[in-house]
This record gives sequence, structure tokens and C-alpha cells, in this order.
Amino acid sequence: MKPSTQRIDEATGRYLPIIYPEELPHWEGLRARRLVLQRCNACHGTWFPIGPTCPHCLSPEFAWAQMSGRGVIHNYVVFHKAWTPWLEKRVPYAVIQVELDEGPRLTTNLLDCPVGEVGIGLRVVAAYEDITDGITLLQFKPDTEASGKRHV
Amino acid sequence: MTEVARAFRDKTAVAGVGMKLGKFPGQTALSLAIDAFKLALDDSGLKREDVDGLIVLSFGSDYDRLLEALGLNVRYAHQGWSHGRFISPTVQFAAMAVAMGMAKAVAIVNGKRGKAFGQAGDTEMWRQGLGPHGESPAYGALRPAFGAAISAQRYFHLYGGSNDDLAPICVAFRKHARLNPDAVRRDPMTLEDYRRSPWIVEPLRLLDCCQINDGGSCIIVTSAERARDCRKPPVYISGMQGVHAGPQYHNLALPGLGVAQQKVYKYKPTPEDLYSYRMAGITQQDVDALITYDAFSPLVLFALERFGFCGPGEAREFVRNGRIELDGELPINTSGGLLSEGHLSGWNLLIEAARQARGECGERQVKDARIVQYACFLGESLIFRGDR
Repeated sequence: MKPSTQRIDEATGRYLPIIYPEELPHWEGLRARRLVLQRCNACHGTWFPIGPTCPHCLSPEFAWAQMSGRGVIHNYVVFHKAWTPWLEKRVPYAVIQVELDEGPRLTTNLLDCPVGEVGIGLRVVAAYEDITDGITLLQFKPDTEASGKRHV
Repeated sequence: MTEVARAFRDKTAVAGVGMKLGKFPGQTALSLAIDAFKLALDDSGLKREDVDGLIVLSFGSDYDRLLEALGLNVRYAHQGWSHGRFISPTVQFAAMAVAMGMAKAVAIVNGKRGKAFGQAGDTEMWRQGLGPHGESPAYGALRPAFGAAISAQRYFHLYGGSNDDLAPICVAFRKHARLNPDAVRRDPMTLEDYRRSPWIVEPLRLLDCCQINDGGSCIIVTSAERARDCRKPPVYISGMQGVHAGPQYHNLALPGLGVAQQKVYKYKPTPEDLYSYRMAGITQQDVDALITYDAFSPLVLFALERFGFCGPGEAREFVRNGRIELDGELPINTSGGLLSEGHLSGWNLLIEAARQARGECGERQVKDARIVQYACFLGESLIFRGDR
């Protein structure tokens, strides 16, 4: 996989993520259906967004580690206004912030769930959406194996 | 508090303000900036040559082009970044430059055309990590409204309430705007009008969001001594504190809400968080009018709790029943704010603060206003004291 600075998919009009060089292990993990984030070799903390050093202890020594992929919806909003033609076909759509069981919170969408059923405390599990021939986007979907909501 | 801070209180002042706000299709950012500069010069009674410092921010002309167009040479020039959170720190730089003798009079000049489209605001959402308001374009998490909506959602989750609690803020500011001939949104607005307003990013409606305008602004800061010789009464700078920032201070959120990586707790300001009151020698009770950055209505709730005007979760109740209106206990955003007067990167808010402290706001003047505070959810504050 290579870094990418392409902002828009010309074929669909969808906004794309920019793939920075030091994020490549994360994006390669997503291609392989694995959620991979940095874990500090010194304090064992994890973090997001991806960055060059551990924000907990400033150690530059980290390993790319597979996360459980499980978490809970900590926050969400529903977009009713579409700011691009691609989004016009998708409103209303939810953007969620998931708190991973490992701690960091990630901003994604929620697949396989009607907008009206999105709520804080809903247990979710990582899903993987191939958005171009080369890029897979991390998403989440309801965790059908988990029961009940969690207080967050 | 340091010795320098003790000596600094009321030693610098706003001596002139100038503003154009609205639609100016025939003008450029440069010409709007120059118009505002001339208006502020005229307001102060100073001559162009009296100005020996200039600060501009990133929207509009660069400092050197503006100086070239004004035929002005200065010994203190600085250029910063045009985000609302950096406007009061910019006035603070100007006051400190004057207090340190690096300049006698600093003009802070801003000119801007239209929406942020095509300017830095559109590309910064693609920066590494997330955008400055948590934006993530690939997920359709676009625009600053996203940051305000995720913050409001967590606030309601923690403290109860709903979008309906924002209505009294929007209605109050519209009432104020109707008394302001410069305001862009002046149609009457009832609570029902608010509730009929379409969702933009739920839990925020269209009327919870400000609009962007063309315009120009200029604020001239000089020494208190010199300001007393100017055309209008001086507006002293009594106290100030900076923008609080870091992972616990997500943009457009109050600390403790749990937005992005923020911890979840009930935020109460510490004495350090309220430094500007000590510097000015006042408390919240002395504030006659509060001016706050209201690009989105929830920010008003956050500012009230950030500065301890009420306790955690109490701002929803605080803003009801006319308490923040002109004849209320704490009038807020007396010009209509960004929500109804218009949005000049927030500079119009600081100009309103100065005009209220002078007592020149006509129909919307807060009676006997002497202490006017500009204070925002991220902790930045400027306390102005009128000379009366």
C-alpha cells in the first residue's frame, strides 16, 4: 500500500481519507480486516489519532497492535444537511464516536443500523468497508453478540 | 499574579473601533480592511502616522500588502491565524506590545470576503488526525457544525435536556439584533419559529448556526494615557487570559463532556481557570454584560459554565425567562451575536464589547454598563472597563 493525497474519488464523488506515510500499517491492517493501532512499548497505552510518539508518556517506542474491535457508542450526531452530492443520497446519516474497549475513541459511521436506532451506550463491533480498489475504511456495526447498553 | 500583571490592569485601552458587515460584492478583502481602518482612525481621532503597530490574521490581505496599500510603516507587525478563538489573544498581544513600549498604538485589522470556501477552512478538515472541530471527511463528518453538534449531544447526555434548551438563546439574540441596524438577521423569531427550523446536524437546527458575511473590522489599542486624549472615552483592558488547549479542550466543547478523547466529568472552573477576574480585581457578579463566541448556540451554555456564572449543567436553566436579554440579570451578546448580527471571525463581538463599555449602543445599550467581559468556552477572556 502507498500513501495517498487524493481527496475525492473522481468516479463517485465520495470524499476519501488522506493516507499519511506513518499511518500505513493501520491502513494495511484495515485491508486485511484487522483494526490495528499503536501501543506504547514503555507504558502499554494505546492512542488515537495516530501520531509519532506516545501521548501518555512521550516514548517513541511503539508497536502496531491488533485491537479487539469491540466498543460502545460514546457519542453520535445525525447529518440532515448534505454538503456534497454524494452525501445527498445518504442523508439522514449518523456519525458516531466509538469508545474502543482499549480506550481510544474513533469517529466513524454505523453500518447495518437504521438511523433511528443509533444511541449512546450501544455495543458495536468493527466492520470494514472497501471504498475504492485500494482503500478500506474502518466502520462499526451493532454487536449482535453483546447484550444491553453500557453506561458511558 | 505577577508584578507585571498587577501593574498592567487598566494601563492599556481600546481607543478606536471600525466595522463594516454585510454583503459587499464590489469590494475585496483588502478594501474592506482599509475601510475599517479608516473608520477606526476616525472613531479614535488618531492620525494614520500615530499607528506604529499592525496585526492581521490569515483571512484577507497579508500584513505587508495591507501596509503597502495604506502607505504606512510600523515598528511592530504580526500576522496570526483567523479562527475565532484567536481574536481575543490578538487583542492581548496588542495590549502587551503597547504596555512593553514596543508600539504606541496597534491597529488590529481584518478584511474578509464571503464564505470560507476556497480558504484554509476547507482544507484543514483533511489534516492528519481529525479536523480542528473533529471533522473526518471520509465519514461525512463535515464542517464546524459537526464539532458543535457532538458537543451539544454529550452535554444533553450528561446533564439532561434537549435541543429545545437552546431556543431561549437564539430568540434572545434575535431580539437584540432587531435593535441593531448593522445586524444581518433581523426578522422576528419566536420559540415556535425556532422549533420549526430544519435540522442541520441533529441536535442542531439551522437557527443554532451563524452565517458568514463579508466585512472588515479594526480595533486600535493604545496606552490608557493616550486613549484619554482620543475622541471617544477609553475602554480599559483590565484583565485577560488565554485560550486553554489540549486533548481535554476539544474545539466547540466544554471540558469534561467526553467529546473525542476528553475525559468525562462535571467541569467546574478552578481559580487558575478564572485568572482574568483576579487580574481585573472583579468577580462574575461585577460583569454588566457578557459577550461570547456564539458561532453555534450551545457555545453560550458552555461559556456560562466555563466561567462559573452557574454550576455544571445549570446553564440550560440560566438562559431562560429573559435572564440573558437586555434588561435581564446578565445580558449576553447585545448586538445579536454571531447568530443574528453576523460573523466577522468574531471581531464584531469585541467591537460590541467596547461600544457597550463606552455606552454608545443606543436602543440596545445595557444601562450603566461599566464592566463588559468577552469570555468563551475555551477559556479565553478579556475584561473591559468603561471610563464612567
